[in-house]
Amino acid sequence: MAGYTAKFDTVTEAVMVSAGELVVEVADRAGIEIHQPCGGQGRCGRCAVRIESGRVRRRSVLRLSQADLDAGYALACQTVVEGDVSIVVPPPERIQRRLTTDHIAPESVVPEGYDPEKAQTVRRVLLSLSPPSMDDQTDDWGRVAMALRRATGVDRLEASLEQIWHLGGILRSSDWQIAVTFVAGGTEGETARLIRVQPATEAENEPLCGLAIDIGTTTVTIWLVDLTTGRVLHQASEYNQQITRGEDVISRIIYGSKGAGGDDLRALVLETINGLVEAACRRTGIDHRAIAKATIGGNSTMMHLLLGVPPESIRLEPFVTAINNWPLLRAEEVGIAMHADGVVDALPGVASYVGADITAGVLAAGLRSTPDTTLFIDVGTNGEIVLGSSEWLVTCACSAGPAFEGAGILHGMRADKGAIEEVWIDGNTYEPTCRVIGNVPPRGICGSGLISLVAEMFVTGIVDKGGHINLTLETPRVRRSVKGAEYVVAWADEAETDQDIVITRVDIDNLLRAKAAIYAGFNVLADVVSVGLESVQKVLIGGSFGKYINVEKAVGIGLLPDLPWERFDYLGNTSVRGAYLALLDREARAEIARIAASMIYIELSADNTFYEAFTSAMFLPHTDLSRFPSVAAAMTNEG
Amino acid sequence: MALSGIQIYKMLPQTNCKECGFATCLAFAMKLAAKQAELDGCPYVTEESKAALAESATPPIRLVTLKGKAGEAKAGNEVVLFRHEKTFYNRPGVFIRVLDTEDDEVIENKVRTGSSYSVDYVGMELRIDGFAVEAASGDRTRLATVVEALRASTGLPLILVGSDPAVLSGGLDKLEGEAPLIMGADTSNWEAMADLAAGRGAALGIRGGSIEELAQLSEKIKEKGVEDLVLYPAVDSMSASLALNTQIRRLALKNFRPLGYPTIAFAAASGDQGRESLMAAQAICKYAGFVVIDTFAPELIYPLLVLRENIFTDPQKPIQVLPALYEINSPGRSDPVLVTTNFSITYFSVANEVEGAGLPAWLLVTDAEGMSVLTAWAAGKFDAESIAKAVKQFGVADKVDQKWIVLPGHTAVLSGELEEELPDWVIKVGPREAVDLPGYMRQVLN
Amino acid sequence: MPVEIPKDSWPGSVNTVTLGATGDQGGSRTSTVTIGGEQSLPFMHFENPTPHRPVIAMEVAAARPADWSAVLLEAWGSTLDDPAVWARACEDAGADLIVLQFGLKGSDDGPVSAEFAVEVVKEVMDSTGLPLVVLGPGQAEIDNSILVPIADATKGERIVLGLCEEGNYRTIVAAAMANDHLVLGKTPMDVNLAKQLNILMTDMGLPLDRIVMDPTTGALGYGIEYGYSVMERLRLAALQGDAMTQLPMLVTPGVETWKTKESKVGAGIPDEWGEWAERGVNWETLTAVALIEAGADVVVLRHPQSLVRVRAAIAELTASETA
Repeated sequence: MAGYTAKFDTVTEAVMVSAGELVVEVADRAGIEIHQPCGGQGRCGRCAVRIESGRVRRRSVLRLSQADLDAGYALACQTVVEGDVSIVVPPPERIQRRLTTDHIAPESVVPEGYDPEKAQTVRRVLLSLSPPSMDDQTDDWGRVAMALRRATGVDRLEASLEQIWHLGGILRSSDWQIAVTFVAGGTEGETARLIRVQPATEAENEPLCGLAIDIGTTTVTIWLVDLTTGRVLHQASEYNQQITRGEDVISRIIYGSKGAGGDDLRALVLETINGLVEAACRRTGIDHRAIAKATIGGNSTMMHLLLGVPPESIRLEPFVTAINNWPLLRAEEVGIAMHADGVVDALPGVASYVGADITAGVLAAGLRSTPDTTLFIDVGTNGEIVLGSSEWLVTCACSAGPAFEGAGILHGMRADKGAIEEVWIDGNTYEPTCRVIGNVPPRGICGSGLISLVAEMFVTGIVDKGGHINLTLETPRVRRSVKGAEYVVAWADEAETDQDIVITRVDIDNLLRAKAAIYAGFNVLADVVSVGLESVQKVLIGGSFGKYINVEKAVGIGLLPDLPWERFDYLGNTSVRGAYLALLDREARAEIARIAASMIYIELSADNTFYEAFTSAMFLPHTDLSRFPSVAAAMTNEG
Repeated sequence: MALSGIQIYKMLPQTNCKECGFATCLAFAMKLAAKQAELDGCPYVTEESKAALAESATPPIRLVTLKGKAGEAKAGNEVVLFRHEKTFYNRPGVFIRVLDTEDDEVIENKVRTGSSYSVDYVGMELRIDGFAVEAASGDRTRLATVVEALRASTGLPLILVGSDPAVLSGGLDKLEGEAPLIMGADTSNWEAMADLAAGRGAALGIRGGSIEELAQLSEKIKEKGVEDLVLYPAVDSMSASLALNTQIRRLALKNFRPLGYPTIAFAAASGDQGRESLMAAQAICKYAGFVVIDTFAPELIYPLLVLRENIFTDPQKPIQVLPALYEINSPGRSDPVLVTTNFSITYFSVANEVEGAGLPAWLLVTDAEGMSVLTAWAAGKFDAESIAKAVKQFGVADKVDQKWIVLPGHTAVLSGELEEELPDWVIKVGPREAVDLPGYMRQVLN
Repeated sequence: MPVEIPKDSWPGSVNTVTLGATGDQGGSRTSTVTIGGEQSLPFMHFENPTPHRPVIAMEVAAARPADWSAVLLEAWGSTLDDPAVWARACEDAGADLIVLQFGLKGSDDGPVSAEFAVEVVKEVMDSTGLPLVVLGPGQAEIDNSILVPIADATKGERIVLGLCEEGNYRTIVAAAMANDHLVLGKTPMDVNLAKQLNILMTDMGLPLDRIVMDPTTGALGYGIEYGYSVMERLRLAALQGDAMTQLPMLVTPGVETWKTKESKVGAGIPDEWGEWAERGVNWETLTAVALIEAGADVVVLRHPQSLVRVRAAIAELTASETA
């Protein structure tokens, strides 16, 4: 029997090792507890340690990247000591690092080379006017217009009556030193529209701002943007208050088509938006009148409801919208808490169920800039899918329900502080380990958390392939309540809410339906255009279900196709990102219009194909396991 | 074979010139594939592509139309081996056979009852399509007399059965301006039969005991200018008939033109009605274009016509159950009325949950065109009005004393309007998922 | 003109399943029934012979059926009062299998009980040597309460137990595994749901050669086309090599057709429907034969005349002829 010694960085005494011992066992004798959320099965990758020197044999490296291996990392539960070794145990927070399969949404960055002079339709210029005199009796308005023409080339200027009421006062109180904010197309000699005239001194301390807004069926997101630098000053999201009037677009349309329902829904979404805008202004110390422009993405129904257009025709055959290409609107008539004369740019949609959220998303995802076949999946209450390349784009929509945004789930919540966003379950004890956003006691489960939780429940046999919870398991976490079978993710004493956080059979069904709709959607779309999914070079995922998506687990439950992990990119909320790009750059805005014009919409309900694909996907991971070779292989290993 | 949008796209110029009226060549190709656009719309398509696309548009099985004095029977134009692959298009014509050796009165009676027969099946009037007259007498004059008499009582399309062209021409004399089927040509008489068919504008049936024989004859007859052909695989047993019909359909779908014609089946079987019915049923399911039976009996004709209707239903439409008031676990006058749509899976999941829990209930299934509750509701096919209509249509109020009606949870919003539509009823909102129904029924409804 | 006949050569085949066990095999049946094994679509003898002909099961109710059509009551007469006598009569009439159907009622109109169920099964097994399919009333709790004791009391007989459905499969599968029985899985007219149940059952360790599936079909006029196409698709998938569809199929034209108005009702119906009893038999036989040609391995019938006709049709279809 060979005897080796093992030295750990945090313990002075070396310990003896017998042949065949695992690093975790040796560490345990050295008095170091290495946390193993998956129960030592090499699944979660959370017990990584660094082998500083010495010989070890790694039985499984599934959870380690090449860079990890090069740095000497090994999974303590899967690694046999085969020589004298020296081991570094990373501190717990290091273990919490993201895995190679975690795809995190990128931060917002200002587009390279952003030049407001060229790109921006809304501009602010400082004008120093010569005061009127008996020699120069030009009227106030003419004086401003002429100065503006000299400074910018703008030929004709329009304004609201209200602007003119206040013009004289501002000119005189500012001592003829003013800042003029206006919107113009940008070509020489065209008409501009006045947004604001203010004293120059006031403008010096105040950035010219814009809003990028995404109105989701479930979640509303705003970005407050400095139009001069392009920087995002603040990001915020909140559940759409319309939710209380129905969870999906259809409920909203029906509610909005009756009596004062439309007015009610309009008021609710405005309240949501304006609440977010006011909070953003407070946080950044910006006067809402400094916001001169808002660019809005959102599905067709949300756009109709925000702008007070009756949406009824969207849901009835032949499914047409009232309008896909909106004219530029004035802020006051829209009702957004910004400068009353600011402009609101509602982005164009394609069809009833493919709206501006997706055209903006396609822009943000950069689909038209690559010749490679790319699949873009916007995971939301309405799942929207685009397949294509710079040559062609086809799109479809499917109703997934709000599960991915945490709504319609007993203990679901948005991806906010207190949301469980990742779960590992010990395959022997069925005990879960959760990662919670903000490292606080959990309040609920967000979309990423649900995906992770159900994937783990499946791998550990807590649910079968049909999503049925196995009540015969020996653990108090699996139980039957009035709502049916459920699994306890966190006990009341661990939770912020002082009640058990559970996932129920109905929740699992909802998630299965949601993932099946999305999976069926992109499969049918690919079939219609005869593109094999394996030939898809890039899969871009948008949506606001979490800060990240664990691709392996999303594949594990059959939400995403079983492709190499590196082909996936998580883009987060692409609708607001696209709105942001369009807010900054007139060329990006024109590109969205081109995208809307070139996308071909495929109606999924035309025949049985979608339904077939859907029921086939209503299984973990899928009725046809051969579509998920990596999951099949993992299941064989778990054996 | 029909081409997919992408396959067509590859034959187009791919310049996105928009002259066809669509934004991109792909959009145009998709429309072409869906037969919602014409290839002429593209000014730049090559002759080569045109030819390839035309070829793909030619149906592999020729459409043959029999015309009578009133009415016609179509067969052919089929494109699949299994109905789920697309659909079966032309319902096989059901023809009743009479022999010219039968008494005039017998024939007259059979033809009159047969041609006036009509049965209602879910709102559709089902009828037979025509008659086959067999020249069993071998007498040209007799056949002519029988055909003439028959034309006095029916205008439906006819099939004249016999092997002697001279005899059959006697019958054809009485069918000026029609397109009957002459049944038929075989290796011994095909030339004369082809001449006869060509001269009279009739379709010609070809009788053969094997694939080779049929293919050979059809080629030769086609060369003589007769193109409306019908194949009769003349074999006796159900198994041989199934095999031959399947082989013909398979070869036809592979664009083997000599067999690209509809087939005919004779189900008559020496007075064994049980066997006759099953032969005819097989012919309907497995590829016959025309089915000839001897027995005219409503208890046989009705199920055969229903089978034909069922098999030729478009399978791309959602699977539906009949809108009705269904009884689950023998409900009584105080049991609740649950409402759902006629999408089969929806119906099954609701019925199974309640049935499995042993709870008695009335299940009212509305006509939502086979959509699930959510889809139907979204499309405006499941609303207060349609529910109230179903309540009245199926006399639900007469079945219960306690008027409780339970809406699917997803459509809670309908309850207000439904109260207006059904003022005598208590409207309850049930759970969203069928799986929660038993619990709800035990807790809330008791 | 030489024509090459296109022959399909399939990579997959249907599982061969044997129902019942004789004395030598650990049971008490005088004969067993083997179904499945198809390597081609139904009756394509020019490709492959039909290894096992489709079989006919006759349905016998454990307690006198209260809601059966008068046509059936008349055809069977007093045999309906005793399931053992009834089963014997089915065997004599040429049935291959007996489907013993339990309802909610037991003896003397009381609720069905485990004792009653076990006793009826034993009586039926004493009176007939045919293999058995035993079905509960279709309510999960009651099904479990009678099927488990029946399974225990008949260990080794290779009875087919049912119905296994997605919500309750665990108990019945476990009982079948523990006692060398088979199970019948039933799913509502959907290819995917059928596959899913088969996956769940085999995931528990039940071997595929001990499962028969009922994909559910409607009667003629009441959705036969859906079941028909689901069966054709399942069979095509099986031949293409999809293991979870390679199960022999059992369907129930008897149950489905005799509850239709056409078969059940004799009075107040249109003249165009024709004579009642013959119509009822046509309704049952047309449904059965259409489904047999779609791939059914077992058809469960009710009327003795249907048994005769469908049997003749099966004989004709399986007679190996060179076309």
